[in-house]
Amino acid sequence: MEDKELSPQESLDLIQQMIGKARKRYTDNSFYFLLWGWITIVASVFHYVAASYTSFEYPYAGWSLTVVGAIVSMVKGSKDGRTAKVHNYTDKMYAWLWASLGIGMFTIIFNGQLLGWSVVPFILLFAGIGTSVSGAMMNFLPLRIGAVIFWLLALAAFRVDPNQQMLLMASGVAFGYLIPGYIMKSNAKKNAI
Amino acid sequence: MPFEALDPLLHSQLRLAVMSLLISVESADFVYIKEQTGATAGNLSVQIDKLSSAGYISVEKKFEGKKPKTTCKITQTGVDAFENYVKNIQQYLKP
Repeated sequence: MEDKELSPQESLDLIQQMIGKARKRYTDNSFYFLLWGWITIVASVFHYVAASYTSFEYPYAGWSLTVVGAIVSMVKGSKDGRTAKVHNYTDKMYAWLWASLGIGMFTIIFNGQLLGWSVVPFILLFAGIGTSVSGAMMNFLPLRIGAVIFWLLALAAFRVDPNQQMLLMASGVAFGYLIPGYIMKSNAKKNAI
Repeated sequence: MPFEALDPLLHSQLRLAVMSLLISVESADFVYIKEQTGATAGNLSVQIDKLSSAGYISVEKKFEGKKPKTTCKITQTGVDAFENYVKNIQQYLKP
């Protein structure tokens, strides 16, 4: 590209072309969906099995994995942010959305005792908001379908005891995080070719 | 109605391309702008300096490890100038 003068029509065409180039075509956020999907499934299934079939005193022990998840997410997010060649508003909104939801989820879990440990319905509702908005931002249908599943499971979760809620939690993340996460990963690979 | 004169700083191929890229993103690296515009590093550097001196963009230079990293960001003055420029070229294109 040179430093030449343009006609008005050439100017408009150039603006259109450059804005088109800057528009992000595909975002691969599958890492976070798969990380949190697997952490939640392992922790919730462990919780259900330990509480239902064993006399293990700390069935909630698996949830300590979420601390590892939070650290890994923060380290990766900060490293990706530092090394990125371009910062989009979509990525910024996406990071703020999930950080805000994470704070909301943490607050609910931290005060779980006040709710009789019936926290899963609220977590499912929050996860549904995150997947639905992310799905809309990325124009990605599997996440939006995942959001509807999260909300339906939240409705059911309000009606069962906290131990059974763990199974609904595991099902929710399987449909809301893992399936969309794997589809996203495979799409990203195809786009890279 | 007389036509408004086009901003000479924006009415040039490479500077307009840089501004059009930066208006769509929060910030962009020099290397990214170079890749997207296909300009040479020397020419791009000169044009970025011109846009920066006019206050249309802000330029931050730092080191990432041992590598220099230049990040450009459009300013509010730049956004206003760009919007004004688009409005003016539309006048020229009206039948």
